[in-house]
Amino acid sequence: MTEPRGRIRFSGAGVTYPNGTVGMKDLDLEIEPGEFVVIVGSSGAGKSTLLRAINGLNRLTSGTVEVDGQAVAQREGRELRALRKRVGMIFQDFRLVKRLSVINNVLIGRLAHVPVWRALLGLWPQHDRDVALRALERVGIPEKAWVRASALSGGQQQRVGIARALAQEPAIILADEPVASLDPVTTHQIMRDLVRINRELGITTLVNLHFLDLAREYGQRIIGLRHGELVYDGSARTVTDEDFRDIYGRDFTEDDLLDEEAL
Amino acid sequence: MAVSPVPDRPPRNWWLIGGVAAFLLAMTGWSAEGIGFSLIELMCNIGGGGRLLAESWPPDFAFLPRLAEPFMETLNIAIVGTVIGGILSLPVAVLAARNLTLGRIVWFADRNFMNVLRTLPDLFWAMLFATAVGFGPVAGALALSVFTIAVISKLWSESLESIDMGLPEAVRAAGGTWLEMLKFGAVPQAMQHYVSYALYAFELNVRASMVLGLVGAGGIGMILETQRANFEYERVAMIILVVLVAVLIIEEISEAIRRRLT
Repeated sequence: MTEPRGRIRFSGAGVTYPNGTVGMKDLDLEIEPGEFVVIVGSSGAGKSTLLRAINGLNRLTSGTVEVDGQAVAQREGRELRALRKRVGMIFQDFRLVKRLSVINNVLIGRLAHVPVWRALLGLWPQHDRDVALRALERVGIPEKAWVRASALSGGQQQRVGIARALAQEPAIILADEPVASLDPVTTHQIMRDLVRINRELGITTLVNLHFLDLAREYGQRIIGLRHGELVYDGSARTVTDEDFRDIYGRDFTEDDLLDEEAL
Repeated sequence: MAVSPVPDRPPRNWWLIGGVAAFLLAMTGWSAEGIGFSLIELMCNIGGGGRLLAESWPPDFAFLPRLAEPFMETLNIAIVGTVIGGILSLPVAVLAARNLTLGRIVWFADRNFMNVLRTLPDLFWAMLFATAVGFGPVAGALALSVFTIAVISKLWSESLESIDMGLPEAVRAAGGTWLEMLKFGAVPQAMQHYVSYALYAFELNVRASMVLGLVGAGGIGMILETQRANFEYERVAMIILVVLVAVLIIEEISEAIRRRLT
């Protein structure tokens, strides 16, 4: 495939929730294929709204989002499923089927690639099983394939979450606070995994984070949101404490850092 | 930081409590009066019940072998009814769950369908199916299927409504269809409940098939009716004992299955 993969473009995009809360306001943003973007902002700044607009989990109330030149459909259906097939998502709370084996969880990433009846009967084609196994290898836990998801540690569960996204063979990965329920050591492992996968496979990766030091350490490009508006967009290398102060609208404290001694 | 004292307990609304209590008392008194229920009369006549119990004792164990065949028929009716109803209750329950259904109209229609099923008694369904397929065990099994749908779909749709929607959303985000979202996102979270309710429905069906026997649906209920009509109370006692033991056994088995499910 030679088509440009994983380009995202927001044009005048806005989300106003039914209760009147503004989740995103008139956003113009372009993300190039293969970029590793970290999105920061205090809670309620619209980080999740931004990610979830890309795969249609949140509907826009104005403007458009395009993935590879095609507008994201604003209702459930074939078109939206075709888009979601190319966009993997990783969640803070992992969202695994606890009572299923790891491999069966990863195979959920193949749903959009196989006929519905096969998926419902569990008759996965060999090719798709292979893809799922390779995804597990890439996150370094192939030996856990037949273990129940509930028997894994938090870090391992998040790796299964990443493998599930990889099994989609996606152009884009959206990670919504992927390390917020993990301890510091596991946090760094998962962040390194995400960076490595981004480099190895060239998958456009967007990660929501609320720890500033993590954003600086792993981000290539940092996007800052405040009250649903874009307030910062720049390289992670040149972002200053002053910029963070602007994004958060206050002085930041050690609560905003993962490693407190880094302050 | 200054610790603020625990605030005083807010005063109780004695008017409300008193009002509710008075209302309940009045309702009970009015209803008892309405059906001519009196504790004193009950005390005086309790001996009649005692006489019936005495006549039923001891249960006629010699009658036991003749119960084997109708009892098996009862079990068969209950099993067929539970399986058919158990399968049909799946879509009925899913469409009645607000978080999973396919739109307001479908949800509303399905809710009302469930209410109709629940409101009409199993005896009504037995009569209905008897006119369709004739009196006998098939009519009984069909009636119990409806009864099973009513029981399971009501309970299970509530379980489905209380699941965590994060997982179904993740399945959707991976490009899954509605059916795939159900299979991988919703059902795994409520599977244990489904099995529990199906076993519970089976238990109810074993009991209900006795009642259905009264209207000619076959099984042990039919024997019960003939023996009762002939004042063979020791045999009636035997039949009740058999059903009691059966229900207890089913209860034990389902408890064991439920424990292994977690």
